[in-house]
Amino acid sequence: MLSVVLKISARNVWRQKKRSFLLAGAIAFSMFVITIVNGLTGGVVDNIRVNFSHALGGHVFISGSEYREQGIVYLIADEQALLDSLAHYETSIESITRRSQAMPSLIFGSRQAMQLVYGVDFSEEDKLLSSLVVTQGSLERVTDEQTIILPRTVAERLGVEAGETVLMRLDTITGQRNVGEVIVAALIEDQERYGISAAYVNRSYLNSLLGLRPEEYQALNLFLTNMDDADEVGRGFREALGVPQPATLADIKEMDEEEAVRELFGMARVEEIEPWEGIKYQVTTINQIMEPVEAAVNVLRTIGLAIFIILLVITAVGITNTFRMILIERTKEIGTMRAFGMQQGMVRNIFLMEALLLSGGGALVGFVLYGVVSLVLGQISWDTMPAMQFFLDQGRITFDATAREVVLNTCLILAMSLLAANFPAKAAAKLSPVKAMSSNL
Amino acid sequence: MAIIELTDVRKVYTLGKTEVHALKGVSFEIASGEFASLIGPSGSGKSTILNLIGCIDQPTSGVVRINGTATNGMNDRELTTLRHQTLGFIFQSFNLIPVLNVYENIEFPLLLGKTAVPKAEVHDWITYLVEQVGLQDHIKHRPNELSGGQRQRVAIARALVTRPAIVLADEPTANLDSKTGQTILELMKKMNEELNTTFIFSTHDSTIVGLTDHVIRLLDGEVVEETFQGRAAAEARS
Repeated sequence: MLSVVLKISARNVWRQKKRSFLLAGAIAFSMFVITIVNGLTGGVVDNIRVNFSHALGGHVFISGSEYREQGIVYLIADEQALLDSLAHYETSIESITRRSQAMPSLIFGSRQAMQLVYGVDFSEEDKLLSSLVVTQGSLERVTDEQTIILPRTVAERLGVEAGETVLMRLDTITGQRNVGEVIVAALIEDQERYGISAAYVNRSYLNSLLGLRPEEYQALNLFLTNMDDADEVGRGFREALGVPQPATLADIKEMDEEEAVRELFGMARVEEIEPWEGIKYQVTTINQIMEPVEAAVNVLRTIGLAIFIILLVITAVGITNTFRMILIERTKEIGTMRAFGMQQGMVRNIFLMEALLLSGGGALVGFVLYGVVSLVLGQISWDTMPAMQFFLDQGRITFDATAREVVLNTCLILAMSLLAANFPAKAAAKLSPVKAMSSNL
Repeated sequence: MAIIELTDVRKVYTLGKTEVHALKGVSFEIASGEFASLIGPSGSGKSTILNLIGCIDQPTSGVVRINGTATNGMNDRELTTLRHQTLGFIFQSFNLIPVLNVYENIEFPLLLGKTAVPKAEVHDWITYLVEQVGLQDHIKHRPNELSGGQRQRVAIARALVTRPAIVLADEPTANLDSKTGQTILELMKKMNEELNTTFIFSTHDSTIVGLTDHVIRLLDGEVVEETFQGRAAAEARS
């Protein structure tokens, strides 16, 4: 029976080529739009995540702090002990970077600006160096002791250019004022608007200004073999290091209002800070840092979905009208089929199958179109647009529509078509054979 | 034995506020294997009777019995099954399925059945019917590639493919020229004799009545004359 329904439906679809192409074309356009939006946002999120991880030096970040008489000192004093406690996850770790950090005032002439500065060991920061978009100067001399890589916007605020020297004024870990001098090696495209604006200096030099030994560092950052494992590995690290897990939505729901606000907005409970022995660790993952970006991208996705649904509704109206027209055109044919013993259900199924074939074909065409467009756009280099680089992979747009999204959108299209064709299909099934036979059409 | 039995059948159509009495107490029987014709002018009730016998319409009152089973009170599913198992149809304007070729159009009613017939058997039977109606060279042609006479031959083969006990033909020659119409009637007669299928056709052309065994003449929704000739007359006498 299914083969009969399929054969007649397929030929009916093919019978009115122009009309079928128009309907399937509308469906293909809807599918293309939603898939391109999904693919683009998915690709952008992936690229931002990768570029964030390069800028931040890893996928999972472990910082340590000690409580000393003069206050809290951020430092990881015993790397081996830390790595030993994470040995279970050794195979998940691809590489490690070690960083110090400070928030000094950068001074050039009469101007100054507060700026986050990472002290990095450039010999282990290949990923960082390859991701930086240099707008002035070069990265050739970054390994020199007293050089700095400065965000372009900060350089503009200071009025400094590559090759010039800026002063760096900061507090040591013991709270004393200290000043150093660094030469601007390169200006890089700033990512301040996306939550990251960092300058980079040699770690040993920053350590000397902070009062740390050259080999010491404050944060151990880990690149994982699979970035998607960041949450799971982060959870494991917290368990291994005895760090409390971040509150889940369910936890927050159980908190009282004041507590929930503190948790949601990251407010410290100053009254609860008490002296502690040894090193207290904090574990953060790239996904936690990416949450605001993901939220922004989700807004885009929601807009895309809304456009998709509007297009689907318009197409659904088109399908209903077309099938009502088909019902009138095929009244006699339906009567003939019913006369020869076709049950009502089969008549209905022929109509529904036609709708499925049209929408399935349209969805397939839309997906193929997405594949072609993404392939073509993926070949174009956008190197001339530095502001875009944070969204791109090596200067190129990437698309990442997940199978789940594609399947979900296809199911939505198919369901909408069935719904739209259902009314005319039922009407066709209920058509009285005698009325159908006496039709003059 | 009567394969079709109509007893005091009435059919009233309502057109707005007007009631049209299409049939006014029609009663007759048709025996198995007859080549019967319903004749009469337009509006005499020929098509209405064929629709009632064909189970695509129900009488307002009276009883229609097909193979001894009263069709009154049957639901749509039962009527559809009865049509599929017992009846074949030939229409004035052929009513072939435009998206199917000659072979597929003939095969179509077989595909609606619940019992699976071996493919080879189906193929042999359809090939036999195609040869009988002389369309072996047009088997892959679509209806729009055939002449009127050829289309009606396909319709005859399609009507016979399920080996129905009864074939109903509603003015089968009305859209054909007289020579092709004559050929089609001879073909129907031949199939009637070879397969012993009961044929009932409506016509207002009294010249073709000579071919039939049993003639039911209608006027204004009533049977005004019923005559038997040839085989039916002999059987009636015996």
